[in-house]
Amino acid sequence: MLRMSVRTPQDFKHNPLEEAGYFPVPGAHLYTVLHGSPDPVARVLLVGAFASERHYSHIPWIRWARLLADHNVECLRYDYRGVGESTGAFEAMTFVHWLEDVELLAKWLQSRGGDVPLLIHGLELGAVLSGKTFDAGIGDILLLWAPPTSANQALRTTLLRRISMDNAFKYGDERRPVSSYIGLLEDGENLDVEGYRWTAQQWRDSFSVELPDGLDTADGTVSGRPVRSVKLDRQSTPLIKGSSVGYEGVNKDFSLLFSENLEWILSAARSRGGVCAYSH
Amino acid sequence: MHTVIDGRAAISVAIGDLYLRGTYHTVPGGRARQQNVALLFFNPGFTPRSALGDSAVYWCKRLTECGYPCFRFDLPGLGDSDGEAPDQILDFINKGGYASTVSALIKALVERYSLAGIVAVGHCAGAVTALFAAPQTKECAGVVLTDPYFFLPRERARFWLELRTWSSWSRIGAAVSAMYYVLRHIRLLVGRQRPPRNANLPLLRCWNQLSSAGLPMLVLKAPALKSRGLRPRIGEFDYLAYLQSKAGPRNRVSIEFVEGTNHSFADRKGREAVREHIEEWLKAQFLESPKGRTTERSGAVARRGAYEAVLPR
Repeated sequence: MLRMSVRTPQDFKHNPLEEAGYFPVPGAHLYTVLHGSPDPVARVLLVGAFASERHYSHIPWIRWARLLADHNVECLRYDYRGVGESTGAFEAMTFVHWLEDVELLAKWLQSRGGDVPLLIHGLELGAVLSGKTFDAGIGDILLLWAPPTSANQALRTTLLRRISMDNAFKYGDERRPVSSYIGLLEDGENLDVEGYRWTAQQWRDSFSVELPDGLDTADGTVSGRPVRSVKLDRQSTPLIKGSSVGYEGVNKDFSLLFSENLEWILSAARSRGGVCAYSH
Repeated sequence: MHTVIDGRAAISVAIGDLYLRGTYHTVPGGRARQQNVALLFFNPGFTPRSALGDSAVYWCKRLTECGYPCFRFDLPGLGDSDGEAPDQILDFINKGGYASTVSALIKALVERYSLAGIVAVGHCAGAVTALFAAPQTKECAGVVLTDPYFFLPRERARFWLELRTWSSWSRIGAAVSAMYYVLRHIRLLVGRQRPPRNANLPLLRCWNQLSSAGLPMLVLKAPALKSRGLRPRIGEFDYLAYLQSKAGPRNRVSIEFVEGTNHSFADRKGREAVREHIEEWLKAQFLESPKGRTTERSGAVARRGAYEAVLPR
């Protein structure tokens, strides 16, 4: 196994090939950060967590991207259309837009030249979008972290946390049950969830945005393309939702998760013809 | 990929060995206000520079429409910027650990974009950083603090956390909690409203220095559990009232309460109210010039003298 420890501030090295920019998509620009590598063995599109979940998973997600780039795996991370640094109004977006983002960025990454495999890697709701894109024939390798069965499952978990936060500041009758929040969405109203205005259409559509069947095969491949799905438990907070997300999670040690997955990525890249320049 | 699009640009600034990455929101049509004061937002605590619900993006977009260029930056180890966050990040922030970086950043931005000054905007732990950074640079033209805190949070044992959860769900627990806060209130009265033991005294001193130097300061306060407007719940020390009671004649501190929102100000009500308050405050501080009010430039010179008296460099 690769040996890796948590980096300290002194260990940090500036990557001159790390570049932020805006990628044009219909009606908006996606904020992207390319973690470049001079001689990549693989390219990875990182499809991160959704909307408010992005805020909590941001730091470990960036560390993961930097670690990949350190090991000659070039990667591109981005913010969903209408979220974070990307432009566009969140409430005007649908899952069609967010799926289109993955497809356009994957194609752009693939077009960067060199005969290296393209890996699509999604976290939580990003895993559903990645799975659907991969199922449509884009990408050579698929890595899923904490994939829900559908987009609705991911939204529901976020909503439950929002309700529990709301209720923590209320007493007795002021507290509303989960059904009243969902009822609003089902009645066609918008709902403010941690500063994002979820629309009734997003909620409705989320039921039909499902992780494709058949990604979980016995030999770990789909049509010869390597696939891996990793379940993450509460120990993986703040990378995924947990009971509490606070300052204690900022420097959490993910070295085991990162090592195992880096090793798998390098091995999958070799199996798909990527020349692994990294030795261990 | 583009680094510049309509209304914003992805920029980076080298501070020491690290590159800080941020977003520059440009004024539509390039028509900045004559005073040429910009605003700088940075991470609220450990969350990204866009802030919860991307509220900081919203504020920057709106404020540029009023003629104020805006910047949003990630501090080292937080988000897109280089570096690693310190292990005890909250302690680091509460001791003013990011202040030198923010003051260097303000200086660099003022120089690069030929600005008259920068207003530092900080939320929660970011407000602590803004307060510590402001006296370190004469280029800081003011501070906006949203829901700042002035105490040093103590680590609580699991038992106390469980007790707090229980008190929020159970009626008996709520009664016990109420009694506890009444006792704390009595203790405050006996202590003659002196700051409690866990007060962040260097931060309070910093506030006093800025206030007596006449730095424009805007504080926006969100409702808190069982609080009454600007006043905290019974049994908690009222830091803002204490600081106001110490304010000298030169102070330019405005404190506003934002009703119907929560600590993040990310909901519709909160973000609208914050935008309105900041807009009005900027107009009053940097555009209107009633008789007797110092201009921003002469104010900066006066402040520099005051800071150097209390914080010799």
